[in-house]
Amino acid sequence: MASLTLKAITKRFGKIVALYSVDLHVEQGEFCVLLGPSGCGKSTLLNIIAGLIPQDEGTVLMDSKSVDQLAPRERDVAMVFQSYALYPHMTVAQNLGFGLRMRGVPKPAIREQILEAAHLLGIEELLDRKPRELSGGQRQRVAMGRALVRRPKLFLLDEPLSNLDARLRASVRLELKQLHNMIQSTIVYVTHDQVEAMTLGDRVVVMRQGKVHQIGRPETIYALPADTFVATFIGSPEMNLYRGRLLRKDDRPYFQGAGFSLDLGGCQLNLQEGEIELGIRPEDIGIGQGGTTSLQATVEMISNVGSEKYIHAHLGQENLTIRAPKESAFEHGQIIPLTIAPERVHIFYKGRRI
Amino acid sequence: MGLIFFIIIVAFPFYWMIVSSFRSLSEILLKPANLGLDIRRIDFHAYYEVLFEHGFLRYISNSMYVSIATVVLSVTLATLGGYTVTRLRFRGQAIMSYSILLIYMFPAIVLVIPLYVMFSRMGFRDSINLLILVYLAQTLPVALYMLRSYFQTLPHEMEQAGLIDGCSRLGVIWRIVIPLSAPALASVALYTFMIAWNEFLFAFMFLDTPEKFTLSRGVVQLAGSVHLSKQLVMAASVIVTIPILALFLFFERRLVRGLTAGAMKG
Repeated sequence: MASLTLKAITKRFGKIVALYSVDLHVEQGEFCVLLGPSGCGKSTLLNIIAGLIPQDEGTVLMDSKSVDQLAPRERDVAMVFQSYALYPHMTVAQNLGFGLRMRGVPKPAIREQILEAAHLLGIEELLDRKPRELSGGQRQRVAMGRALVRRPKLFLLDEPLSNLDARLRASVRLELKQLHNMIQSTIVYVTHDQVEAMTLGDRVVVMRQGKVHQIGRPETIYALPADTFVATFIGSPEMNLYRGRLLRKDDRPYFQGAGFSLDLGGCQLNLQEGEIELGIRPEDIGIGQGGTTSLQATVEMISNVGSEKYIHAHLGQENLTIRAPKESAFEHGQIIPLTIAPERVHIFYKGRRI
Repeated sequence: MGLIFFIIIVAFPFYWMIVSSFRSLSEILLKPANLGLDIRRIDFHAYYEVLFEHGFLRYISNSMYVSIATVVLSVTLATLGGYTVTRLRFRGQAIMSYSILLIYMFPAIVLVIPLYVMFSRMGFRDSINLLILVYLAQTLPVALYMLRSYFQTLPHEMEQAGLIDGCSRLGVIWRIVIPLSAPALASVALYTFMIAWNEFLFAFMFLDTPEKFTLSRGVVQLAGSVHLSKQLVMAASVIVTIPILALFLFFERRLVRGLTAGAMKG
C-alpha cells in the first residue's frame, strides 16, 4: 500500500492536449475516483500512473518517491481493465497466478494466494476453466482477482463495471466497496458513471477535457460544486441552470432570468451586479405556497421513475425540472406555485462558484 | 462443372505422376498411355533407385535443412519485426511498415542475375547457407505482413496487463503474443516452408556441387540426365510433393481461429 502523488502531469497527443497539468494526491488506503465524460483524459491519466504511457511533463510519485523511470512491472501496481484483458490461453488459476509467477514467487505460495483471492471473490469453482467459458460477471471477478492476488501498492481500475448489466453492476459495486473496507488498499478508480463515483469514492476528482475541475468528498462535490460543469455533471436529474443578471433593489439582491425573477434574500454576495448563472437542484424546489420566494411554473410533462416523479415544467421562458414525491399528482398545463429557499441556490460567476 | 474441370486439370497430372512412379521401366515402354494402376504390380524399385542410387537421400536432407532453417529464421524475425511495427512507436515507423511489402514487388528473376554476379565475386556461391539467406529475403516480407495484420487484431490491453503483471516486452511477446498467434504463426511457417522447399530458380543458379543440391534442383538434374527413365523422375517428384502435403494436412488442423475468445468483454 502506498500513497500516490501526481505533480503537474501534462500529456499531448500530437496537437491535442490530453492532460493539462494535473495535480493530485491520494492518501494511503484511500479510494479515489476519477470521474468525467468520455475523452476527458481519465484513462490516459491511469495509464500514466501505471507507466504504460509516458507523460510529457510532470512527475508521478509513490510514497513520495518518483517512479517516472520505472517500467510498469517495477511500479508494483495492479490494473483492472474495462475489457478485463484476461489471458485467453490460460486457465483462471493461471491468470490469477501469472503476476506472481513473473515475480518468481515459489509455487506453493502462488497456489495459496490464488486460493485466498478466489475465496475472497467467490470464484473457487472456476479456477480450472478458461476465460471463454465464463460469463461477463465471472470474467470481471477474475480480472479483479488477478489484481488482488498480488497485493500491489496501488490498484488501478479502469471502468471495471461498465460491461456488466445494470443489476450486476449494482451488486458488484457494493462488493467492491466492502472489499475496499476489508483490505484497505489504495485505489484509483476511473469511471464516467456518477453513481459509481458518489457511492464508491472517498474522494472524487471531476475531470473534463484534460483538466481537473474539482477534487473533494462526494458530498462536498454534490453540495458545493466548484463550477457549472461539475454542477450539471453531478446529480440526476441534472441541476437547473439559468443565465441571467444579478440586480439589487433596496440593496436586496435578486436574480433576473428569462421571464422570471428570484429574490435571493439572505444570500451573502460580494458581487454587486452583473451576468451570473443560477443553479437549483430539482430536489431543492418545493411545490406549494410559502417561503420567502414564490414563483409559478407550468407543468409540461411528468416522468415517473417509480420511487419518485420528475416534473418537467416551464418557468418563464426556461425549462425546469422538479423532483416530486411519487404520490404527487399533476397534469399537463397545470400551474403550480414554487418555493425556492435562497440558501439552496448555487450562484456562478463566469462559470465559477461564488 | 467449372470445379470438375479444375479438379481434372490439377489432379490428372498428379495422378499420372503417382501411377507412373509405381511402374517398372519395361511397363512404361510397353504401354505408355496406360492410366490404370494394377495393385498387384506396384513396383517400388523406382523409389529405391532414386533415393539410394541417385543421391536423393542427400537432397532430401539438404532441402529439409534449408527449409527448416528458413522457417525458423523467418518466423522468428517476422514475429519480432511484425510486433515492432504494430506496437512500438518509433521514427520512420510508417515508412518501414510500407517498405516491407515494397521489397516483395521485385520479381525473383530480376534479382537472380545481379545476385549471381555479386555472390560469385564475393566467393559465396555454391553454398546452401546462401540459399537460406535468399529464401529469407523472399519470404520475410510476406511473413512480416501476415503477422503484422494478425498482431493488429490482438487486444492491446492484454499486453498492457502482461506488462503490469511483470513481463518485459520480450516476455509479453513470448508468453502472450506468441501463444495467441499460433494460427498465424502456423500459416506463416507453412507458407515459408513451401516457398523454401519448392524454390528452384536460385537453387539452380547458385548450386554447382551435386552434394549440395536441394530436391527441386535434384529432380531437374535427374530429368536432364542422359539415361532418362520416366518412372524415376516421377518417383522423385512424388518425393518432393509428399512432405508438403503431409505438412499441410498437419498444420491445417491447427489453423483454427478464435483463440482469443474469452479474453475480452461479452
